[in-house]
This record gives sequence, C-alpha cells and structure tokens, in this order.
Amino acid sequence: MEKTPKMQATNVHVYYGDNHAINKVSLDVFAEDVTALIGPSGCGKSTFLRCLNRMNDSIASARVEGKITLDQQDIYDPKIDVVQLRARVGMVFQKPNPFPKSIYDNIAYGPRIHGLARNGEEMDEMVITSLQKAGLWEEVKDRLEAPGTALSGGQQQRLCIARAIAVNPEVILMDEPCSALDPIATAKIEELIEDLRGRFAIVIVTHNMQQAARVSQKTAFFHLGEVIEYGDTADIFTNPEKEKTKDYITGRYG
Amino acid sequence: MSVSASIFILILLAGAGFFFGRQRSLALVSGKLATLHSLPNQYGWYVGILMLLPGILVILLWIVFSGNIIDTMVIASLPDHAGPATEQARALLLNDIHNTAAGAPHSGSSEIYIQEAAQRYSRLKSQGVNIVSALVALFAVIGGLAGFRTIRPDLRARTHVERVILILLILSSVVAIFATLGIVLSLIVESARFFARVPLAEFFFGLQWSPQTALREDQVGSSGSFGAIPLFAGTLLISFIAMCVAVPLGLMSAIYMTQYSRKNVRKVVKPLLEILAGIPTVVYGFFAALTVAPFIRESGGLLGLDVASESALAAGLVMGIMIIPLMSSLSDDALTAVPEAMRDGSLALGATRSETIKQVLIPAALPGIVGAFLLSVSRAVGETMIVVMAAGLAANLTANPLEAVTTITAQIVALLTGDQEFDSAKTLSAFALGLALFGATLLLNMLALSIVRKYRESYE
Repeated sequence: MEKTPKMQATNVHVYYGDNHAINKVSLDVFAEDVTALIGPSGCGKSTFLRCLNRMNDSIASARVEGKITLDQQDIYDPKIDVVQLRARVGMVFQKPNPFPKSIYDNIAYGPRIHGLARNGEEMDEMVITSLQKAGLWEEVKDRLEAPGTALSGGQQQRLCIARAIAVNPEVILMDEPCSALDPIATAKIEELIEDLRGRFAIVIVTHNMQQAARVSQKTAFFHLGEVIEYGDTADIFTNPEKEKTKDYITGRYG
Repeated sequence: MSVSASIFILILLAGAGFFFGRQRSLALVSGKLATLHSLPNQYGWYVGILMLLPGILVILLWIVFSGNIIDTMVIASLPDHAGPATEQARALLLNDIHNTAAGAPHSGSSEIYIQEAAQRYSRLKSQGVNIVSALVALFAVIGGLAGFRTIRPDLRARTHVERVILILLILSSVVAIFATLGIVLSLIVESARFFARVPLAEFFFGLQWSPQTALREDQVGSSGSFGAIPLFAGTLLISFIAMCVAVPLGLMSAIYMTQYSRKNVRKVVKPLLEILAGIPTVVYGFFAALTVAPFIRESGGLLGLDVASESALAAGLVMGIMIIPLMSSLSDDALTAVPEAMRDGSLALGATRSETIKQVLIPAALPGIVGAFLLSVSRAVGETMIVVMAAGLAANLTANPLEAVTTITAQIVALLTGDQEFDSAKTLSAFALGLALFGATLLLNMLALSIVRKYRESYE
C-alpha cells in the first residue's frame, strides 16, 4: 500500500540573491518516520529544512520556487497564514536557544500565544506533559522557576524540544540539534527522537552519519544543493545506488 | 633666545641624534641587520630620546618654578622702604612690576624703584632663559654622546625605547584621571566653603531659593535664602517631561529600525537620527524659546489655559526631542545584541513578529533598555542650554508644567555669569549645586553602566 506523505516538496529551488542554493529538490516526508538530511557543509540541507516552515521568509534576499505541501496543501499559498503553519511545523535549532525566561515560561510561551490553555491548571498540565515527553521532567521538576539559560547545554536543547512539543505540532524540524552537545547529551537527544517517532513527523539535519543511521528511517543525501539520493536509511547506508553517496558515507570526501 | 627657540633647537639636535644613531648601528654590523638586536630605527630613537628627555625636563622645571624664583629675587632686591608688608601688598607690587616690565599700562605708581625692579625682572628672565637654553643644549649633547657610544649590536634599544613609550602612555591616562580628580576636588572644597555659611539642612530641604545676598546693610529685596528644593523639583519636572517624549519615541523608533525596517531604509534613517544628536544644544535652546514656547502659549490660550511664556513644558518637550537619538541608538544596540536565535526560536513556535518583540526581544533587551533610560535621564538632568533659554529663572515650586520653573543647571549659569565675587554665599552656592548635580548624574551613570554590564554577561 502506498503511504501518503505528510509533507511533499516538488521541484523546489531556493535562491539567495543570485546564489542558487537549492536546485530542483523533490522529497517526501512521512508522518511515522524520522527523515534525516545528510551531506557536506553548505550543501543546502539547512536551507531546505527552513523552507518547510518558511523560516526563510525573514531573510530578505531569499526566494523560494516550486511547491511544498503539508497534507496536500501548498504552504507557500498566499492564503496560508505563516503563523499557523509554524504552529503545525515546529523547529529546533542548532544551538539551544531558550528564552531568557523561567523553564516554565519557556514551555508555556507557545501555548500562551496560541491560546491553547483555558486556565492555569491546563497550562500546568501542558507544561508538565511537554517536559515529560522531552524527558526533562525528572531533572527540572523542583526548579521550574529557574531561568532556562541556567540549564546545561543538553538540558537546554531538550527544553527547546519540549517547547516545540508544547504547541502540539504535526512536524518537528531539527537543524543539527546535537552539534553543540557532548556525546552523553547527544545520546539522550537521540533516545528522545526515538521516543517521539510516530507521534510527530521528524526531519533532522545532521553532519553525523552514524547519527543519521541510528535515528532515521529515511535518509536524503544532499550535495551542492541537489538531492543525490533519497531512500530508506538501511539502503542508503548499506547499499547506496550512487557513487557520490558511497564516497560520502565511507568518508572519502565531505 | 626664547624658550620656544631652544625647544626648536633641541628637536633639531635630537633629529640629528636619530640619524647618527641609526647610521652607527648599521655601521657597527656593516649592514648585516640580522646581527643587530633591534631595528636600526630603534637605535636612532634610543639616541634621540636620550637627547630629548633631559632637555624637556629642564624646560618643564623652568616653566613651573622660574616665575616664583624670579619674583622672590626681585622682591628681595627692593630697597627696604618699598618692601611689601603683607601678602596682598606683595601681590599688588609684583603685578605692577610685571606690567611695567611688559610695557603695559598699569595702575601702580611709576616710582623709580618699580622701574628698577621691572628692569631687573626682565634682565633676570632673559638670563634665566639663556641659562636654560645652554643647559638644554649641553644635556642634549651629553645624552647624544652617551647614547652614541653605548650602541652595540647587542644593546637592547627596542626594550629601552618601548619602556619610554609605555611611560608616556601611562602619563597620558594619569593626566585624564588627575583632571577629573581636580575638578571634583575643587567642587568639594568650594562647596565646603558654601556649607560653612549655609547649613546643609537649609540647602537640601529649604523651599525658598533666592540667592541675592545683601552687599550693604540697608539693601532690600535680598533675603539670601538657599533652599534648593524648587531647583531639584524643577529639574525633575523638566526631565520627566523630556523622558515622556524621549522614551516612547526613542524606543519605538529603535524597534522599527531593528525589527521592521528594510536594510536600505535603515541605512538612510539611522544616520538622519544621528544628525539630530549632532545639533548643538544652543540651537535646540532657541528652537524651544522662539518656536515651541510661543506655540504652546498660544494653543494653551485657545484652550483657555494660562501658560507662562517660559514654560517647563516647552523646555521639556524640546529636551525630549534632543534625547531621542541617544535613547534610540542605545535601545537599538540593546535590541541588536539579542541573539538572532531568540527571534528565530519565537517565530518558529508560530509567534507573530509583534508577539516576538513584546514577549521575547524586549524582555531580553530590558537591562540594556533600562541602561539607556538611565543614561538619558542623566543627560536630561545635566542639560543646560535649553533650560537657560526656555525654562526661565524663576524658582517656582510647582508641578504644573505650564508654569515657569528653573533647574539646577540654569541657576548655576545665572549665578556665575558676569562679574562675581568668589567669596559670597551666592556665588559659592553654584558649587554646591554643581556638586549635587555631579553626585546625581554620577550615581545614575554608575547604575546604568552596571546594569548594562550585567546584561552583557548574560549572553556570553
């Protein structure tokens, strides 16, 4: 049976001024999978990721062509409210970026702006569940009023994931979420991604090929703004079709 | 031979020393630079500095002490009957002698002993300059020879030269520190003289300010009361009005500029705003006095309000406009310092731009914005020209912005303008006001800087 993709990119081009950053990329993201985007630096993985929730809108020189859909609906349609789109497609960044607020307020921020909680109890509930889902609850339950910036790097990143979860999105985009973390914190984030799989469609950009192999079901190999190969992670890593993919994953260049 | 001529000759000699020192170092190693410890130029500087330093020292000593020494010698040589009895008489006498020597008209008697003393004064002075010039030249030659003879390939010329430069740098910063200390000390000393006449409590808590003191016993209308509360209140009132203008406008323009404006708009608007900061405050002053104040008076009249022609409102409004660029550019810095990641994080959660600004950016930049606010307040409190021209001099104790009030700074100007005797309470009160003002702005600035510094650390 053919699965319907959660998000579908068709012939996407991205330009930064005269620079052609993404060239004719087509990619399907499935709701129950973790999709990994790998490739050398500057190959356009992050740029592509930022197209999926229109974060490129805030860069004045960026121009996106082609079609990206979420549940068959074009997200670049002028009728689409970018604020609502981002509530459905959340994002976690390379460097943990908690707001300079308390841990509680960091989580409650999203639900508050979207009016998701009717009263204080519901809000408390929402904060607790989000922290639990992000595997941070046990570590912070006694200090919800402490500033989010006082946590360690790995905890901050899980706080950011909890913050994204709190809005109850359908897709979570992760832009190299572990690149600023040590191996232990990285392992925790990877466990967390495994836990979250199935509840959210996850797209993760990573430099670390072992990480892509560990956490993802689908992998796309980007090179110079193009998708060289896209398929099941197991296939890409054990039996790549293209010579370039093989060279990259065996570490011959990159 | 004058002092400036001997300085000129000294520089020429040192230049020659530089040249020969450089040549000597090159000659010693016959052009093989690698065997020299320092660069040839540094050997040149080494000789040049050895020639310059003693000479400069002699000239400085001459400038500082010569006046006193010559004066003492001249007074000592006066005939016994003309010798001054008191310190004041001595000063007057010396004044006459100096003026006669300079050929300037003077009030003193042209008695023969003054003429003689003046001649003697001129003679001593020119002899002194000649001696100094000779000494300078002598030291330069000795220093030059010593330097020239000590040049060896392993002489650490660079170390010596750099040590002299280091001392020069230290001296420069010491000058700035001592200037500040001197100003503060003079404020404190003069204020102490004032508080010896007027009790502290009257100055800080008195409600009546009228600094006219009686010169003669029978003079009327000169109560001489020094209660500074009306001035403090006036300063606060005008600063408050100014901040009501500057804070919202400055903050909002900073928000627009950092968050909404496109790059090319920002490129034009920001420099324009900074031009506003470059307008001399005198210009703001007459803008306030000639344009804004009459306008407020007339529009107040239409509403049936009685507006003084020099109102706190006019001065405060214009001062606020003057402070907008300061407030705006400091807030701009604070908002720009908030990492881009904060903004992206909020936008990625589906927050709108205004939600992001209100709930993430401003709270994150708040310490910086508070710092900007405090620096603006201290600017408003210390501003002088606008209030002198537009706020008036009447020390009314009022909270009504339509009345004329006066400020600390405006009063200081009024107290010290024109000829003043520097030992009356009236004049001395200016120093007490200055001290109060200095204390207030210093506190505000320290508070602001410590807040800004604390805030800087939080992102690193």
